[in-house]
Parts: sequence; structure tokens; C-alpha cells
Amino acid sequence: MRRQSAAVSLVLLALLAIVIAQASLVALLFVFSLVLKLRLGIEIGGGAMLMGSQLGYGQPQVTLFNAATVASAVLTGGCGVLAAARRFHRWRPDR
Amino acid sequence: MKGLLRLYPRSWRERYGREMEVLLEQMPGELGVGLDLVVGAAAAYAVVIRGNRILSAAGAYLHGVCVAVLLQAIAFVTFILSAQGSAASPAVAELGPIRFAVFTRPHLFGGLGALGSAVWTRTAAIEWLLGAAVLAMLIAALALVLASPRLLKSLR
Repeated sequence: MRRQSAAVSLVLLALLAIVIAQASLVALLFVFSLVLKLRLGIEIGGGAMLMGSQLGYGQPQVTLFNAATVASAVLTGGCGVLAAARRFHRWRPDR
Repeated sequence: MKGLLRLYPRSWRERYGREMEVLLEQMPGELGVGLDLVVGAAAAYAVVIRGNRILSAAGAYLHGVCVAVLLQAIAFVTFILSAQGSAASPAVAELGPIRFAVFTRPHLFGGLGALGSAVWTRTAAIEWLLGAAVLAMLIAALALVLASPRLLKSLR
């Protein structure tokens, strides 16, 4: 039971790390779109959010579709899991 | 300055804390000493994390996540730079039938002829330079993140 709850906590923490990483990525993209004077649209599920100036109709626009959102989350989690698995298998105690 | 010793892991403080407090009493309270203590705390935590298999894997997980976020930010800025440089509008990033992103240019200067086109080209050049600066900064950040485990190891 203790081992199972530890495993569940580990999975939840890993998911939380992905959520925080995705939120920081969106913040980073928002800052870049401000610097590069772009309007940024991100599709999430059935909804979408548009970031940028209300008066920025003359600005170029970048739209990220659902596929990009999903691929981003998968890539973030995948990189983390790969790095963790590699370290777990190659771990040796310090001499 | 002694308060900074609380940043160190408990096992380290139990072993070296008293000794370090005496040492700090004899040293001037300068900014450099404080910075040394903070870097030393990071190195001490790195040793504790490396000594435990699960913690070590968790640290690698977070490191991998950071690398992935930076790679995606680099991909985003590279896409914008290539779209700004290409003649095609809208520029699309796609893999087979799957569409990831679209870059659409405004048609504001379309009706103004050569003058409008010259203004647009100049604006695009300035934005391309800004984008290149952002890209260089991101690549430097990625290099720093990739090198950080080795840097921390060398601090031991």
C-alpha cells in the first residue's frame, strides 16, 4: 500500500511538473510574441486563446493548433521520462 | 551571513555546521562570501541528490523537462524567423496531414504599392534581427542548462 501511494505521488508530481513547464512555455511564447510584435493564438481542445494587442490588426499572427499543444505536452513529458529512466539505469553510488 | 547556512542540507549542517559558523565569524560579511555560500549550498544539495537513486532520477526528470521547454521555445522562434524570411504567406508548419502552426502576414501595405512594400521590408528586417537575438539568447540558455550538471559536479 505504501509503495502504491508512493508511485501515485510520483506520477502526480511528474504531471504537475509537466503542467508547470507548459505554463512557463506559454508565458515564454507570450513574451517572445510581445518582443517580436506578433499576435499569438493557441488552440486548446475546443477553445482558443488569442494573446496580443487589441489594436494589433496590422501585426502578423502565429496560430498554434491542437496538434502542437498535444505534441508539446508529449515531448515535455517524454524528455523528462527518458532522462529519468537513463539516470535510474546508469546510477552508481559515489565512490 | 550565518543564516545562509540554513540553505545547506541537514546532513551537511550536522557534520560541518558548527565548524562553518566559527569560520564565518572570522570572515568579513561581504557579498562574495554570501555568493560562495549560496553556490556551495547548491553543490551540497547536488551531492545529496546524486547519492540517492530515486532523487537522482527525479532531478534528471526535471532537467529533461527544462531542456524540452527550451527546445520548444527555440523551435517556435526558428519557425517565426523562417516564416518572416520566406515569400510564402501563410507559412505553415506541418507533418503530413497534421498542421502544427500557421504564420499569417497582414495585408495592410498591400494597397500602397512600392512604398508600402519598402516599409514592410524594413519592419520585417528589424523584427528578424530581434528574433535572431532572442534565438541566440535561447541557445545560450540551452547550453547553460545542458552544462549545469557538469558545472555543479566540478564545484565539489
